[in-house]
Amino acid sequence: MTAFFQSAGLPFEAAWLLATVAGILLIAFPVMLAVAIVIYFDRKIWAAMALRKGPNVVGPFGILQSFADGLKVFLQETIIPSAANKGLFLIAPIITFTVALLAWAVIPFSATAILSNINVGLLYILAISSLGVYGTVIAGWSSNSKYPFFSAMRASAQMISYEVSIGFILICVVLWAGSFNLDTIVQAQKGHVFGIVNGFVANPLLFPMWVMFLISGMAETQRAPFDLTEAESELVAGYQTEYSSMAFALYWLGEYANVLLMCALNAVLFWGGYLPPLDIPVLYAVPGLVWMLGKILFFFFIFSWVKATVPRYRYDQLMRLGWKVFLPVSLAWVVIVSGYLMITGHFA
Amino acid sequence: MTVAQLIKSFTLWEFLKAHLITLKYFFKVKATINYPFEKNPLSPRFRGEHALRRYPSGEERCIACKLCEAVCPAQAITIEAEPRDDGSRRTTRYDIDMTKCIYCGFCQEACPVDAIVEGPNLEFATETREELLYDKAKLLANGDKWERALAANLEADAPYR
Amino acid sequence: MGSQMPKVTVDGTELEVPAGATVLQACELAGKEIPRFCYHERLSIAGNCRMCLVEVSPGPPKPQASCALPATEGQVIKTDSEMVKKAREGVMEFLLINHPLDCPICDQGGECDLQDQSVAYGRGASRYDENKRAVTDKYMGPLIKTTMTRCIHCTRCVRFSEEVAGVDEIGALYRGENMQISTYLEHAAKHELSANVIDLCPVGALTSRPYAFEARPWELKKTLSIDVSDAIGANVRVDARGREVLRILPRVNDDVNEEWLSDKGRFQVDGLTKRRLDRPWIRRDGKLTPATWAEAFAAVASINPGSSIAAVAGDLVDCETMFAAKALLGALGSSLLEGRQTGMSYPADNLAAVNFNTTLAGIEIADAVLIVGSHIRWEAALLNARLRKAVKRGARVFVVGPEYDLTYKAEFLGDDAALLGKLPGHVSEAFGAAKRPAIIIGGAGLAKGALGPALALAEQWNLVRTLDDGTAWNGFNVLHMAASRMGGLMLGYAQAGGIADLVAAKPKLVLSLGADEVDYTRFAGSMVVYIGHHGDKGAHAADIILPGSAYTEKAGTYVNTEGRVQYAEKAVFAPGDAREDWTILRALADAFGVSVGFDSFEELRAAMVAAVPALGVEGLADYGALPQADKKATAEGTITYPIKDFYLTNPIARASATMQRCSAELLHGEDFAEAAE
Repeated sequence: MTAFFQSAGLPFEAAWLLATVAGILLIAFPVMLAVAIVIYFDRKIWAAMALRKGPNVVGPFGILQSFADGLKVFLQETIIPSAANKGLFLIAPIITFTVALLAWAVIPFSATAILSNINVGLLYILAISSLGVYGTVIAGWSSNSKYPFFSAMRASAQMISYEVSIGFILICVVLWAGSFNLDTIVQAQKGHVFGIVNGFVANPLLFPMWVMFLISGMAETQRAPFDLTEAESELVAGYQTEYSSMAFALYWLGEYANVLLMCALNAVLFWGGYLPPLDIPVLYAVPGLVWMLGKILFFFFIFSWVKATVPRYRYDQLMRLGWKVFLPVSLAWVVIVSGYLMITGHFA
Repeated sequence: MTVAQLIKSFTLWEFLKAHLITLKYFFKVKATINYPFEKNPLSPRFRGEHALRRYPSGEERCIACKLCEAVCPAQAITIEAEPRDDGSRRTTRYDIDMTKCIYCGFCQEACPVDAIVEGPNLEFATETREELLYDKAKLLANGDKWERALAANLEADAPYR
Repeated sequence: MGSQMPKVTVDGTELEVPAGATVLQACELAGKEIPRFCYHERLSIAGNCRMCLVEVSPGPPKPQASCALPATEGQVIKTDSEMVKKAREGVMEFLLINHPLDCPICDQGGECDLQDQSVAYGRGASRYDENKRAVTDKYMGPLIKTTMTRCIHCTRCVRFSEEVAGVDEIGALYRGENMQISTYLEHAAKHELSANVIDLCPVGALTSRPYAFEARPWELKKTLSIDVSDAIGANVRVDARGREVLRILPRVNDDVNEEWLSDKGRFQVDGLTKRRLDRPWIRRDGKLTPATWAEAFAAVASINPGSSIAAVAGDLVDCETMFAAKALLGALGSSLLEGRQTGMSYPADNLAAVNFNTTLAGIEIADAVLIVGSHIRWEAALLNARLRKAVKRGARVFVVGPEYDLTYKAEFLGDDAALLGKLPGHVSEAFGAAKRPAIIIGGAGLAKGALGPALALAEQWNLVRTLDDGTAWNGFNVLHMAASRMGGLMLGYAQAGGIADLVAAKPKLVLSLGADEVDYTRFAGSMVVYIGHHGDKGAHAADIILPGSAYTEKAGTYVNTEGRVQYAEKAVFAPGDAREDWTILRALADAFGVSVGFDSFEELRAAMVAAVPALGVEGLADYGALPQADKKATAEGTITYPIKDFYLTNPIARASATMQRCSAELLHGEDFAEAAE
């Protein structure tokens, strides 16, 4: 894109700046739009599985429901509790929202459409998603209210727990792909199994890792059945209890942006990213972006499906799963995978 | 733990089964109706908004016996009575606090003259709380408005009483 | 039978019952409940409702009416056999044949004997399809509302008016199914106790007219209180809903009012909400204008009377109020207390001389009674019912005073008070022969100085004696008219010269505790501060009005004419800004800058009991022996009864529309019958 702006007669620096800003906007705005649409889909899927119709009044098939909700929330009064720490209270949702968008910088939407093709993309994502917990913790603390505080404590413990196993799972992928660069990881999956299936997921050694990654992803994004931070039966609305208006909406957007990011990571790390499912030339006629978006939507459907099916975990069960199942298994798997790769001479 | 259980556990078998069920429901015909335009059928015993009925002659039925006031578990009914000019026993005040009411239907059960009834109307939301403090005029107006439905419901339910 | 206690067996329990007891009483002694409608403990036995059927052997093989069957030795009574159950169901079904079952519009609903007993003993369903009998309603005056279709012909009302009230006002016309209860020619029931038939009626045929459709019994908060409409101190129950007293019913107290209540005590309630003083008033430029409490207290304080202060107690105030006022005056250095508003000045240093010593229950067994200057029917209607019982037992009654209908046989000796000194020979003879002689001196007698000669007569006739059975008899009685009188006398609300002493002292400030009968023109030079509840005469004459509480709105101690200390409880709150009287007096102490030594009602009552210990004990106070009679004392003047209108004797009654209507219709013959229908 820099070249495009240069061809318009701009010096390199200006062209680079313009191109980067344009790239950011080209990702951020569609992501926001996608979040709105995805919320609508989430509600529709959930409703359908409960034999309901879901939103169907605002716009055709209710498709404008999210925008109506957004408008409503935007017009509401921002209430700041008198006992809250005002500055932190307002910064918290901004942190969550910003961090949720930041991670998208390294996601390869297609072979060329990647904002920042850095060689430690996966590390970057791990780092950024770890920051996300600050938004929650600060919100819980600054609200100066007991339920948000409980919620924040739950959130921090939960995110840290699952990040550990996610880290080990990713190491398996990285070992196989041989790179932290997400584009390279995608390319490494080309014809991975029998030279025809694109995607680590078809690898019997990595399939269990994908299952664990999917589940850990749900825990990491605090989706059902791991939505203990906003368990309404115990904690009212969790760390968002004291929030209203746009501040509340920012959490809302950030949460779904995170979910989408997790879907994208699933696609990129295990399902071949922007590659077609099978390494058949005719499938490459379809643009990579379409494959990528299709996969993201498919995973989002799975996320919604799980939400509609599984009841919420108890907190001790959540912790047990994280520390007593996922952590030892993923740790063992790193050894198994690396051992296998060693024996087969993968690194040779 | 048997081997079968172990396998079931590790393959997340029960989870998959559960997801298949929800997927089945995903494609089923939905139960939702298009509410303001479509409505569910109501039982003749449905307990909605209250109304005070009149006799066909136009005479109000309520005789101020205060049984509804006495039986009301939410103490939502307030009645004051005195002899009317013709000497008959009538209410001078008949208030129902609809915000207190729990729609149990005891008042209509207690009523010896079918004066206070809970009608089929369930769409009486208001914008202010005060509008839900019904007085006698409002209740009588309700009775006049819904009399046909009320009479039909009472008749439909009569064989079972 | 004989005088032996017969031994009977009730449902397998053997017990001895008093001689002459009925089977019904025997069953009650055994703890069995016998349903009844016509039977009433205080009325004669009629035996016409048949509800009290029980199985008795030996006897005919059929159920027997237990109320009319004497208990005899060796009877075996069954109250819960199949036969009794069937009999009761049958009787109940018959009673309900012509009963309209209009409970929802009936004021008796919820406290109806027929309702309760048909639930307990009835079949639950009727087999009667035919038309019911209907009876036209009868007019029974402004107090009694009739719905005669509901009548089950128990005749309790008929028996009450004949036996207790002593007037043939109510009776039965026609026979069998056509029988109707009516006042003859449908004139109003005029007796002072007439409304008691409302309580007696076991169904809703006779109900209270002023209370018609007002409330249901389950809505009412019931408070035990004391009636203040006369000096009898009848025990009453105040039924209130929210902040309004809706009705007053008598309580059973065999020593005082049995279970009756005068119509005034019962129906003056509507006066409690009318003409009330609900905020302070201050006279400015000759006109009373509304004020705040702060202004009123400041105005009282600005009078700055020092010890030049006097207090006059009204007829309705409780002992606590009087004591609080006494304490206030004491703190200011004054003892100018008086309660006898109309100017009477009989000596009150020995309270036995101004007490109804025989007691209300005791007068029933008197066999010779001399009434001096008392219109007993109006001054103490309940006492008249007692005297009527005495006469039915054979007592002879002589009256000094103008003639009026006592409802029993009495000899009027003339209306000259001087007669006391020269009674006709047959009177002295009768009293000489009497075993339990009694003298009753009323207010009119006291006013003419009859107390002295009466004490002399008491000595002459030996009214204080020990009876043959060893019990003490004191036949000397003074009948007061004000509920506050005996309490006031105990608290020292009596000057030697009566209220004239207060006038002579020319106090700067006169504290009027609801005193409405005082001639305030005599206090022209004084500031009058009125603490009371009604805008009556006292309030009109006042310079500053401090609104207080009526008797239903404060807890209080009352002493009736026989010296019986009784406690009333607070039923409702006073209207508007009005306060309990003692709190006003306590605040006045602050306004004057003096200390009265109490800050709460409990402290006040404790201080009062410390000062007059008798007030701390419920029941008859002991005033000791009668004083030595002054042989030279004479009474003179023509006796005139002070009460001109039975229904309008106190500010509450005067404010009551019901009482005004009673006065107009029953005493002055105005016709309201048309308007009522």
